Amino acid sequence: MKRLIALLMAAVFALGLTACGGEKETAEQVTVRYGLSNAWDSLMPYNSPSGSNYTRIICDKIYDRLAYVHADGTLDPRGAKSWESTDDGMAVLFHLDEKAAFHDGTPVTAQHWADTIALITNPDCPALGRGTFSVLAGTDSNGCAVAGEQLGAEAVDEYTLKLTFKSPTAPEDFLLDKNRELYVLPTHLLADTDPADIMELELWSAPVGSGPCKFVEEIPGSQLVLDINKDYQLGCPDFDQLVITVIDKSNLLSSLISGDLDYYAFGGNLSMDDAETAKAGGIEVLEGEVPNTFYELMLNCETIPSAEVRRAIDLALDKEALCLQSTHGLGEPTATDVTPGTEYTCALTWQRDVEEAKTLLEQGGYDGRTYTLACTSNRSGLAALMQQELAEVGMNVTIETVDSAALFSGMADGKYDMAIASHTPGALPLWFTESRLSESNNIFHIADLEPYTYYIDQIKSSSGWETRQVMLDKLQELLADQRPFIPLWFGRTLHAQSPTVDNIDYPSSSFSNENIWAWRMKEA
Amino acid sequence: MGRSPWARFRADRRAMVCLYLLCAELLAVLLLPPLLGLEPNVSDLEAGFWALPSAEHPLGTDDVGRDLLARLLSGGQVSLFIGLSSAAISTALGVPLGLLAGYRRGAWEFWIMRLADIFQTFPSIVLVLCLVTVVGPAALNIVLVLGLLGWTGIARLVYGNTLAVREREYVLAARALGARTGTILRRNILPNVISPVWCSIPLRAGRAILSESSLSFLGFGIRAPQASWGSMIQYASNLTVLTGRPWVWLPPGLCIILTVLCLAGIGDGLRDALDPRFDGGRP
Repeated sequence: MKRLIALLMAAVFALGLTACGGEKETAEQVTVRYGLSNAWDSLMPYNSPSGSNYTRIICDKIYDRLAYVHADGTLDPRGAKSWESTDDGMAVLFHLDEKAAFHDGTPVTAQHWADTIALITNPDCPALGRGTFSVLAGTDSNGCAVAGEQLGAEAVDEYTLKLTFKSPTAPEDFLLDKNRELYVLPTHLLADTDPADIMELELWSAPVGSGPCKFVEEIPGSQLVLDINKDYQLGCPDFDQLVITVIDKSNLLSSLISGDLDYYAFGGNLSMDDAETAKAGGIEVLEGEVPNTFYELMLNCETIPSAEVRRAIDLALDKEALCLQSTHGLGEPTATDVTPGTEYTCALTWQRDVEEAKTLLEQGGYDGRTYTLACTSNRSGLAALMQQELAEVGMNVTIETVDSAALFSGMADGKYDMAIASHTPGALPLWFTESRLSESNNIFHIADLEPYTYYIDQIKSSSGWETRQVMLDKLQELLADQRPFIPLWFGRTLHAQSPTVDNIDYPSSSFSNENIWAWRMKEA
Repeated sequence: MGRSPWARFRADRRAMVCLYLLCAELLAVLLLPPLLGLEPNVSDLEAGFWALPSAEHPLGTDDVGRDLLARLLSGGQVSLFIGLSSAAISTALGVPLGLLAGYRRGAWEFWIMRLADIFQTFPSIVLVLCLVTVVGPAALNIVLVLGLLGWTGIARLVYGNTLAVREREYVLAARALGARTGTILRRNILPNVISPVWCSIPLRAGRAILSESSLSFLGFGIRAPQASWGSMIQYASNLTVLTGRPWVWLPPGLCIILTVLCLAGIGDGLRDALDPRFDGGRP
């Protein structure tokens, strides 16, 4: 018996020693544990089927962008130190940071930026999301380079990038709109690859970027380990590693409270409902001031071809109740995608009218078919509420709960008739419509985009605010008449402050960028 | 003279209490919603979201303003339907396969029991998760998946007993008289191996209810807005609900516990009642 006890004690002692060894190792390497509620779908920024903010926030760490966008719409230098308008507003010169370098040590030059844009706009390259580049000269409306035309992206010198546009564009407008979709790729590693085979490269499973973090390893869909890029041009935080883990949304706060996470994206977002729990758990909570979410009900105009039926859906929804259910008072129902608080306005107002909705359904020839409404699991309550409201006007809806990537690809494939989605709103008048109402991303399956693109082009080519506002009003009227999507509400959020990390720019996280280079560990 | 199995079962107080409770639960989930006019999928926006228990909503409302009592009863229908139906499917599959494997032996025994081994090798929840993902999260699909995957336990039970019975004199006599395999299995073997199966059915139903609850808790359960006890306790995955709104998840949790305990009690009672060795009290 004594021998057995001695053996057990020895085993416990040995385990204790092992544990002590582990702590010492941890003390040497400081790790920040970062939670994300949904997985990224690609580590290649131009190959994301969803184009979701989850992928963007990951790519934001590995790859560099031209600027850093604050939640209030102000800009800070990042890959570019400064920028200036030139050629009567038709072009912008970006003066790049000479200290920027890829993780393999190669300096980032203007040629890398120009080559990235040339590669992604190459029609042979199966890039996704290249609609971003459709504003550049020498591209078509899908962002593909037009043969025989000069592409509006060139390296003026080693550290000066010139982007030329189809219409006069202020650098700030361009950055506010496109910065989060514009990354520089290590084109020196792609030189020998056929553009058609770019997405097949092994490089994207262990990517080399020039962002503030370096890729270490990935468990796809589950965990990503990144080392801090100590040579990043804007500096580096005082920790060594960032471990990004996918955790169900409902567990993010509890993980933060229990100390399993140091921070979670986006910006420690917190519902009003969870604020008390967070405070009780010792987490400081701050209220966001600018709208950081825009909810929409995407409609499939191919399976719901009648504008009357789509308008009936709009009139059937009680946006006030839906907004309250989702935001707990931190949101405002809307009839438009124009972000409140910006210099652009929209006079349209929303209303619920069950009788009018029934009449429109009849006029639209609704035949009693059952539509499929897709949503992510955390929005199934919202979907259930919509289902009831639509049932009130006589429309049958079945709910399908899917993940975010499946939701967007399902809408793009025409599998679903409706889907609930949310986005980060922008300050520009076309922040939402321009990318959604294009040939390259016709997610609403609109048969004829021309009426929309006409107004979008008019707004883009207008230089004065007044003309833009007039054209924006016309576009919004068209959208209200055709209702290819239903704007639901703009929401604000609460931010759960990290108990261990300081200097986090919480609101800007919603704009798919994080100032990770400025993060500092709090003193114990 | 020994008492009948039913008399022995009735004499088992614990089993009878479990049976009464289960019957009461069944009656409640089936009759109360129409009698009280409860609507599990209709929101009461005046009461609000996450309303506290009140006279109008005795268990409060959920995140969409739906009456939690209505959803508890409606969820009970689904959970009990899934539990009992999948147990029935498992039994319908497991009994003949176990009989065939035990009686015919040879290739039948090899293939059926190796198939059972393969089924039991996979972690059941993972297999169920995969299959539900493939066929879609609907109550009927979950019943089929749980039922089709649950046959192995019952088949093994029947197989083991059949091996013991197949060499008995009355079976040999039937065989010598030229009875067909089907007749021997039905008339001579089945009645002598079925007793433990009756005991395992309630336990199997209880396990199926727990499996459905686990699936719903993981978000792979039945399709929204339908409720089940499992999908209702999923609310407890939210820290605020877990710590601040126990009335939301406690009733479905208690219902699951009560039902599984009742089914286990009935199973025990059946075992005692169907085994003559237990006559006159517990051994």
